[in-house]
Amino acid sequence: MEALFFNVDAGFIEGIVRGYKAGLLTQTQYNNLTQCETIEDFRTQLSATDYGNFLANETLPISTSTIADKATQILVDQFNYLRSNAVAPLNKFFDYMTYAYMIDNVILLITGTLHERNTSELLERCHPLGVFETLPALCVATNVEELYRTALVETPLAPYFRDCINAADLDDLNIEIIRNTLYKAYLEDFYAFCSSIGGPTAEVMQRILAFEADRRSINITINSFGTELSKERRAKLFPAIGQLFPAGNNALARADDVDQVRQACDGVAEYRAFFDTAHLLGDDGLGDTGAAAELEDRFFAYEVHLNKQAFLQQFQYGVFYAYLKLKEQEIRSLTWIAECIAQNARNRIQDYIPTF
Amino acid sequence: MGDDYPSPFRSEQMSLVQLIIPTEVAHDTIAELGELGDVQFKDLNPDVNPFQRSFVGEIRRVDEMARRVRFFSTQIEKEKDQIPIRPLYDSAPLLTVGPRAAQTMDELDLKLKEHEGRLIQMNDSYQLLCERTRELEEARHVLRETAVFFERATGYQSEVRSSMDDSSAPLLQHDDRESQYFSSSVQFDLEFVAGTIERSRLPTFERVLWRVLRGNLYMNHTDIAEPFVDPATGEETRKNVFIIFAHGDTLLAKIRKVAESMGATLYPIDANADKRSDSMREVTARLEDLQVVLFNTGANRRAELVKIGENLASWVDVVRKEKLIYETLNLLNYDVRRKTLFAEGWCPTRDMPMIQDALKHATEESGTNVPPILHELRTNKTPPTFIRTNKFTEGFQTIMDAYGIATYQEVNPGLFATITFPFLFAVMFGDIGHGFITFSAALLMILGERRLAKADLGEIFGTFFFGRYIILLMGLFSMYTGFLYNDIFSKSLHVFPSGWSWPVNHGNDSVPANPTGWTYPIGIDPGWHGADNALLFTNSYKMKMSIVLGVIHMTFAICLQVPNHILFNRRSEIWTNFVPQMLFLQSIFGYLVICIIYKWTVNWETSSTGPPSLLTMLIGMFLSPGTVDPDTELYRGQSSVQVILLLIAFVCVPWLLIAKPYLEWKEMKKIQGQGYIGLGTEEVPRHTSDSELEGEEEGNGGTIAESMDDDSEHHDFGEVVIHQVIHTIEFCLGCISHTASYLRLWALSLAHAQLSEVLWSMTLEGVLGMSGIFGFVAIALMGVMWFTLTVCILCVMEGLSAFLHALRLHWVEANSKHYQAGGYQFTPLSFAKLNEE
Repeated sequence: MEALFFNVDAGFIEGIVRGYKAGLLTQTQYNNLTQCETIEDFRTQLSATDYGNFLANETLPISTSTIADKATQILVDQFNYLRSNAVAPLNKFFDYMTYAYMIDNVILLITGTLHERNTSELLERCHPLGVFETLPALCVATNVEELYRTALVETPLAPYFRDCINAADLDDLNIEIIRNTLYKAYLEDFYAFCSSIGGPTAEVMQRILAFEADRRSINITINSFGTELSKERRAKLFPAIGQLFPAGNNALARADDVDQVRQACDGVAEYRAFFDTAHLLGDDGLGDTGAAAELEDRFFAYEVHLNKQAFLQQFQYGVFYAYLKLKEQEIRSLTWIAECIAQNARNRIQDYIPTF
Repeated sequence: MGDDYPSPFRSEQMSLVQLIIPTEVAHDTIAELGELGDVQFKDLNPDVNPFQRSFVGEIRRVDEMARRVRFFSTQIEKEKDQIPIRPLYDSAPLLTVGPRAAQTMDELDLKLKEHEGRLIQMNDSYQLLCERTRELEEARHVLRETAVFFERATGYQSEVRSSMDDSSAPLLQHDDRESQYFSSSVQFDLEFVAGTIERSRLPTFERVLWRVLRGNLYMNHTDIAEPFVDPATGEETRKNVFIIFAHGDTLLAKIRKVAESMGATLYPIDANADKRSDSMREVTARLEDLQVVLFNTGANRRAELVKIGENLASWVDVVRKEKLIYETLNLLNYDVRRKTLFAEGWCPTRDMPMIQDALKHATEESGTNVPPILHELRTNKTPPTFIRTNKFTEGFQTIMDAYGIATYQEVNPGLFATITFPFLFAVMFGDIGHGFITFSAALLMILGERRLAKADLGEIFGTFFFGRYIILLMGLFSMYTGFLYNDIFSKSLHVFPSGWSWPVNHGNDSVPANPTGWTYPIGIDPGWHGADNALLFTNSYKMKMSIVLGVIHMTFAICLQVPNHILFNRRSEIWTNFVPQMLFLQSIFGYLVICIIYKWTVNWETSSTGPPSLLTMLIGMFLSPGTVDPDTELYRGQSSVQVILLLIAFVCVPWLLIAKPYLEWKEMKKIQGQGYIGLGTEEVPRHTSDSELEGEEEGNGGTIAESMDDDSEHHDFGEVVIHQVIHTIEFCLGCISHTASYLRLWALSLAHAQLSEVLWSMTLEGVLGMSGIFGFVAIALMGVMWFTLTVCILCVMEGLSAFLHALRLHWVEANSKHYQAGGYQFTPLSFAKLNEE
């Protein structure tokens, strides 16, 4: 049925987003970019792509953060264009996409305030997709209760906040707990929303969100080793969706080291590969941080893979989510390459994650 | 090709040339060729990254200069008062060729850098000053507005108090209030925060404060009437003054924090009225000082911009040209020793001497004595299509190019469209009056050509202006067909005496007109105008005429195949395609045309049989061949003629279907019989008789050998068959549907005539008889209305519709008969085109 009526409302912007997707950098373009000697070469090379002359009016020398900012600006413009053309329930879907950025911004702001950073500086670093009106007021808050009452009560994040209102003071650990609780609530809510849409949208989005949830669970587990976070509290942070839920999550909740994490993930064929050759035992010179970074890269690569698959299905909203994520990944890769060029770290330049 | 005058019949003959350019003169050579605009360069290093090419450094430098120039342009655009930019033709030319070129560029680069530095500095200080001014202005607003709050607050207090002792006399009360004002302002002990905030954020601000302070505050705010303009972006922001009263240091600190994070600006305001007025005075004084400084800085900046504006146009020009030159240079190939550059490109064979001259000139200009060498290469690549146009033929050629670019050296339908297009248009638009309006509009555009070409006309009018010569011819031809239709604004002209006379005395009944024995010499007899059967007559006449025109047009289009077949050495196609197609069309529709003309020549009043219906005749020819009703026989022996024609037409179908694939197959057999077998896939042996020989004659043969297999066509036999089957079906069905399609000439012409008649009778006709002042006014009013509607509906709207149909007749009905349109456009390197963009 969705094939009959999908295009009435969403056909136009699906066309737009597929056009945008066609403009994502290809492997050859990445290859060309990695061969660049200087940032100027990089700019020349990028001007031959869909980015066009987005850096033409910048004075030399161009910093990598400028590149990232400008590229993000393009993404934000595209997103806003899509969003302003969306009708229900797609507009709700777009709103959901921005919640993740809101959570990030909230956390960024309260962490920054805790460490007494300048508010306006913090506001500049916030992701433009996650800015909401009362965001600046967050810096007044000194405890969670106040945080909720002052700023968050009128945002869409408010219902997610209900679970963490009991946390008393704002310190680093608590903030991390808040972030994960918020994310958990958000993912579950988004998952439920996508399921309520049904059809291929649910199919595609459930796949992507399930992976997102599992990734968070694994990350929380690995990051909690050696911290004062108790196992019960840890278990509470795991989203109640995903392929690891519930058996894998239970195993994760009991895990004490990386090896047990791997055993917990053994049940899911796709995740087994993440730990395959990764020497995650921490005794091979790379150390835990190196291994974690490697794991993170694999997660990103798999995420890109899932998002690419979203484009193979028609008549569903997953393409919008997937495009946003792919473009973000592309900007990350671009920034990485630019950073490598700027710092002359050519041996690591190949470590970007290609999208197409 | 021997003819020495370029013709639009075929596209120009092109040659692939190689240029060997010493590095020293490379830049000047390309510059010279760019001015000439006659060479299309090929990319000789397609697999080299853009940033790995030879002249990236130069391009980068030019890009940087372009960025600076763009910066100047935006700065000048943003300036509120217009800054004059001296036009290009008025500025001194910047020489970027010749021995001093490099120096000129260096100087220009330096100059741009200096200007940019100065401008940025001025912008910065200007912005800083603006910022300060804005702050002071805001402070003044805050002072002024808070004073109002305070006054109101004290007024409120005094009112409360005065209400208690109601009985006191008004004079006394006045005194009382005065004293109270002073006393209360001194002992005003509520603490408060005052400042400005953007208007859009105000509601959020209020809400957040309410929640943070749990309602323990008193907030007041007013709009600042005038907007604040950001000097850099020109954006307007509207702000509000707010003042918040609250109690306690913590609360005030919180308010301050929230306010700051929400982007508000706070100003220290004293509760004391005296101090407030003091600071007000101070602020005003500082503001005045600042404004003087600001004005001076602004004037300086403006002077700088004016200076830039004087040269900006020539800078833009130079930068654009240089960029194009270096981009072209990047297409070239270095030789091994990096002393010379190799260029390859297409140019019209006819213009080779001109290019040689340009090269010579470039050498002289650059002051060296090593000239670039030009020689022609032999190639089997298909050259680009280049049809020379002038301002007259440009429009017509564009119509055909929009359908497809002609294959190289193919017969160009654009040439014939110059006449057929306006003519077919005019058949649908025939009216002397409307034609004249269209003609004069086009004539006006042509007379003001020079002036209009410079102006920016906008998309819609620009399109009309581009097609001004088409419109001119359309108008002219419409006047001609209008004359034939004897139609001027739906009235008829009595140029010659009519061939019919009406009885003098008649009542309200219809009466037959009597022939006077005189035939109206040209066009339709005005006697038909107003006759009861006028529509019947013109309908039949126009319908037949459109069939006649259509068949002639299609026959002509088929004939255009012949020069193509001869030129491309496909003589067999004349027998396999052209002849059967021609026979098929002529035996059915050609016969119909002859019948139409024959029927017109017979006087059926005196004939023994009645006039036959040609439509029935044509249908009968197919459905019951060999039998013709003797009552409606057109001529003797009609049935046998028709049978023969029908047989010819039927024979043509298998002929068309089979002959070409058969010949192809025989050719293939022959080649295979000679022992050639396609190498690899399906490479067909070519007759390459003299190309190698001539190549050697040219001298430096070594580098010239072109790979032959670049675009070898795939001569798959199955493909030939399928193509021919499709072609046959398309042609045979097309003949019928296309002939019918020409009936649109009749339909549109009829609609046009009827519409103009209706317009006349609805507006002017009713008021023409009136007399006196009222009649005069009515005629004037209706006349204006009639004229506007004539122009808007009959000329513009109907004209566009007729244009569209004429376009279709050319694209579909005529072009499908002969036009291959498989070429690609010649796009030479040209500075002239650069300026058009």
